[in-house]
Parts: sequence; C-alpha cells; structure tokens
Amino acid sequence: MNNTPVLQITGLSGGYSLNKPVLHDVGLQVQPGEMVGLIGLNGAGKSTTMKHILGLMSPHKGDITVLGKTRAADPGAYHGALSFVPESPLLYEEMTVREHVEFTARSYGVERSDYESRSLQLAKLFRMEDKMDTLSSHLSKGMKQKVMIMCAFVARPALYVIDEPFLGLDPLGIRSLLDFMLELKNSGASILLSSHILSTIENYCDRFIVLHQGKVIAEGSLAEIAAASKRPGQSLEQLFYELVQGGE
Amino acid sequence: MDLKELRRERHSQAMGKLLPYVGYIIQSGVAMVFLFVIIAFSAWYTSLLRDVPDGIPIRWIMLALLLPAATHSGFRTYLQTPDTVFLLPQEHRMREYFVPAWIRGNLWKILRLAFILITLWPLYIRTEASPKLLFATALLLLAVKLLASFGLWRELSLLSRPASGSYALLRWAVCGLIIAAWLWQPAGRGLLFIVLLAAAYLVALHVPARHAVPWERLIATEKNQGARALMMLGWFVDVPGREQRVYARRYLSKWGGSMPWRRDTAYRYLLTKSFARGDIFGIVLRIALLGLLLSWWNRGTYVGTAIYLFFLFIVGVQLLSLRKLHSESFWLTIYPLPQGTKGQNTTAFVFRTHLILAVVLGLPFLTTLGERLLPAAGTVAAGVLLAFLFKGYMSRKEARLEDDDL
Repeated sequence: MNNTPVLQITGLSGGYSLNKPVLHDVGLQVQPGEMVGLIGLNGAGKSTTMKHILGLMSPHKGDITVLGKTRAADPGAYHGALSFVPESPLLYEEMTVREHVEFTARSYGVERSDYESRSLQLAKLFRMEDKMDTLSSHLSKGMKQKVMIMCAFVARPALYVIDEPFLGLDPLGIRSLLDFMLELKNSGASILLSSHILSTIENYCDRFIVLHQGKVIAEGSLAEIAAASKRPGQSLEQLFYELVQGGE
Repeated sequence: MDLKELRRERHSQAMGKLLPYVGYIIQSGVAMVFLFVIIAFSAWYTSLLRDVPDGIPIRWIMLALLLPAATHSGFRTYLQTPDTVFLLPQEHRMREYFVPAWIRGNLWKILRLAFILITLWPLYIRTEASPKLLFATALLLLAVKLLASFGLWRELSLLSRPASGSYALLRWAVCGLIIAAWLWQPAGRGLLFIVLLAAAYLVALHVPARHAVPWERLIATEKNQGARALMMLGWFVDVPGREQRVYARRYLSKWGGSMPWRRDTAYRYLLTKSFARGDIFGIVLRIALLGLLLSWWNRGTYVGTAIYLFFLFIVGVQLLSLRKLHSESFWLTIYPLPQGTKGQNTTAFVFRTHLILAVVLGLPFLTTLGERLLPAAGTVAAGVLLAFLFKGYMSRKEARLEDDDL
C-alpha cells in the first residue's frame, strides 16, 4: 500500500501580514482513504489553512505537498489532485447548473462519458435533476451549495478540501453529502473537512485536528484525543469545549 | 441618519473610482479614433446641410433619434446589498435619498436629449414643410423625458415582474406615440392627443400594486449600471474584474456544447457561455446590424467603406472587453487549467468572432463585385486585415501579461 500522504503540511506559518501570522507552525497529514475533520473556533485559522492549501495564500514558512508535489514544482498536477467546496457558493451567473458541472469536468480533464454518468448520479443524489438547466442566479442558497458540491465531486481528484459544507443544506442534502463522502472515502479518496457541526462529523471522520489561535492543539481519532485529554468516553463537542477553554 | 449626505458620499466615492482613469482615456488610441469620427461626422453633416437631398424622411429620422434619447432613463442609486439590513429601518424616509438620484439621472439625460435635438434641428427646418417651433419641441421633449423617467421609477416598484416588463413596453409605445403625434399632426390636434395619452398613462401607472422601496430590484439595477459604466471605461483602458448583466437567452443555450472536450479549451467553454448570455453579445449584435444596414445603403461608395471599417472597429473594441471577463475568477485560480490557455482561448474566440463579422458586414460589398471589383474586394480585405490587427494587439497584450506573471 502507498503510504505517501495525499496532503502533507509541515511547519506552516502564514497569514495576511508578515508581521502578524495567523498560522503558527501548523503540521498535518491526510492519508489516502482518510476523512479528517479540521475543527476550531471562528478565527482559529481553518479557512487560512485551506487558502494556503489551495494556493490562494503563500506560506511565510513551511511546505505543503499534495501527492508529494508542491504547487511551485508542478501547479498542474497539484491543482488537478484536489477539489474544493467553499463555505459560500461562488458561481458564474452566466452558466446553468449543468454547465458548471461540465466546465469543471472539462477543466479537470474528466472523460466525457465519466462526466455524463457522474453528473446524472450527482443530480439524482442531490435532487437537482429538474434544476440542471437553471441559471445559477435563479437558485436558492442551498441549491447553490449543492452545485458547488456537485462540481467538486464530478472531478474525482485524490483530495477534497471542504469548508463548512452543511451551511444552507437541507437535512436530506446533509445526509446525501455525508453518505457520498463516505462512499468516496471507501473508494480511496481523502477528505479534509472543516465544520462547526461537531455532533454530525463525529461519526464520520477518522481523525480530527483541533486548531486554536493558529496552532494545532490536539489531533487524532476521537478515542486518541479523549485519551490524551484524560477524558475517555466524552463526545467530540465536550472534548472540543474542554480543549479550547483550557487553551484560553 | 442624513440620507442625502449618505448618497452624496457614495456618489463621490463612485466618481473617485472613475476619475483616475480619465488621463488614460485621453491618452488612449480609441479616444483619438472617436475624436476623429466626431470631426469626420461634423464635416459630413455640414456638407449635408449645405446641399440637402430631396425626399429625406425627416420625421422618421427625428422619431428614430429622439425616441431612445427621450425614453431611455436610468438613475445611479449606489444601493448595496447590506442596505436591505441597515437602511431598511429608514424605508419611510428613503425619498430623501432617491430624489437627488432621480434629479441627477434626469439632468444628464436631458442634456443628451437637448444635444441631439439641437444637432438635428438645422436638418429638420431645412427639410420639413411645416416645422414646429424649437422652443415648443424642446418643452414637449422635456415633458416626455420626465414622464418616461417617472414611468421607469414606477416600473421598478411593481410587485409583478411580468407587469413591470409590460409597463416598459407601454412606456416606449406612449413616448413614441407622443413624439410621432407632435411631428406628424398639427400642433393643436397633436397636443390634445398627447395630453389625453399622457393622462391615461399616468392613471395606468397607479393601477398595479407596488413596493414602497423595491430594494432588490434597485440593488440589481445599480449593479448593472455600475457594470455598464465600467464596461464603457473598458473601451479605453484596462479595468479589472468587470461584471456583466446576464440574460437567459435560451435559444443560445446549445452554443459551446459541441466544442472539443479538452482541458485546453475549457476556458473557451466558459467564455462562450459568458458571451452568449452577457451584455457584450447584445451590444455587438446591435452594432453589427446597424453597420450592416448602413453598409448596404452605401455599398456603392467609399463612404460605405469608411462606415464598414468604422463599425468593424467598434465591434472589435467591444469584443476586446471579453479579455477582462473573469479576470478575478476564483475558480480559474483553483482549477487545473493549462497555463496560458485563458489568454489563448480569449484571443482565438475574439479573432474568430471578429473575422466572421468582417465577412458578414462585408456581404453588401461582395454583392457589388461585378461592378466594383477592386473597391469592393479591397473593402472586405481591409476588414479582414483589421481583424488580424486586433488579433496581433491581443496576442502582444497576452504575451506582456505572461511576462509580467513570470
């Protein structure tokens, strides 16, 4: 089995200003077939970490590799190996749902036949069949979020970076998303997921990384974090509360 | 909260964003071309006035030029999405905010209307057998302008979108009938009809239910107005991050679907969709149709050649603005598009479209090949050359951008 992490971050410090870094020496890994929850309070550095992974921000220090490649060395392979679901939908007003999915598939070099079967499957899964030819500006916020998810999933890269995907989704949409993420994970894909709904992700993620004030303060499976905190049997929410309160 | 002051501040901020570009506009080659066109038009118009041909359909010309200027209205409200939260409690006082916007919007458009009227007037009095008085015509057009402007304001407030669309049509029809009645009918009879029609229109505007303040429509309209101002600026200088107004245009929904399924054409797919549903398409289409019509009328003369090249140049300038589309797109940063394909796809798309239009606009000249072989073929060849010149300009710009990125 290939043990190269799909995502490896080592010694990452970065932020919007050189004098005031948001992230301090962050290190994390996501292995193949692993779903990792990135959790933290508002302003803890989750979105900043994701922006660094996506190449939207440059690290002050440290390295980020996806499938062993840095963005500087091979931008095509780097970006082709990951897809992203943002917290707020970002859609082209000029395109319909179908066209967004098709544009993503074309950009990632997905075969046409794969695109057709995947887009059908995703439209059905997220109950968007009757909205496929609707312009994005005519969709509700939840539907726009579903388009973002469909675009990320039609590409089938090695790594999914997903930022607060449940915002605006209806309960059925959340369930469909979680089930589909499990299916992807079981097929070998890796997922880095950020969410505040800890009770939901508790049962789905293999590991958790707790970010607080730009630093990793705990990581591991639920049992490992509970053991390290000497609070076995506690829920993720309780553990998180204790960890960040302790860190204040 | 001083709403008048708030609007004034927002207006100053908007102007402050545009003013830095004024110097570049003056320096730009496009501005020089426009200046040249104005001088050429002035010379042509003066010679036309010296020797006015018989049978000019002056009433139709007056109607065609005065109707859009009198009926087209618009206001810059500078409203923003957060206003639906922060200004909503002031809804009952928003009149204070909107009145200056309405006045300012009308002021500029009245000046535009007056300019068109004064330009047309020498031709009108030379060709019309029983011309109306200038002062009376100006007053009437002012009244039409204010009526149309009020009508537009009411349309924006209507609860029903389809009703709003119908009222827009009604506005154009009423204004058209008023101007036509003034131009074609004796003053007394015309005025009676105009007063009755305007009164009926005003009554009709009060019938449908409407919002106290149509927040969402005003914000969307403001967004479009802002985008249009940037687009006009973009004819002269590079303006980053231009947004455009989107139209559904279902009849064009298949366009782009059959292009090669390759990563290096992915951006072309996005650009095709953006062009098909954006405002640039509509503008290019209107310019091309007008150019085709004028080229057809003048296909046997060198004036026709000048008209053809001028319209092709304007089409090229419009197409160039496609370069600025999606210049700050988030997904183009994230998606693994092959490096340089955005610029290459845009240049190829603009060139292809420009070339097709060069041939289409040149069709009237090609029909005269039998009688004027060299001038007609030369005209179309010059059009094709112009498309290549635009392509060369775009390629150089893209190469410079890539050098800057390295």
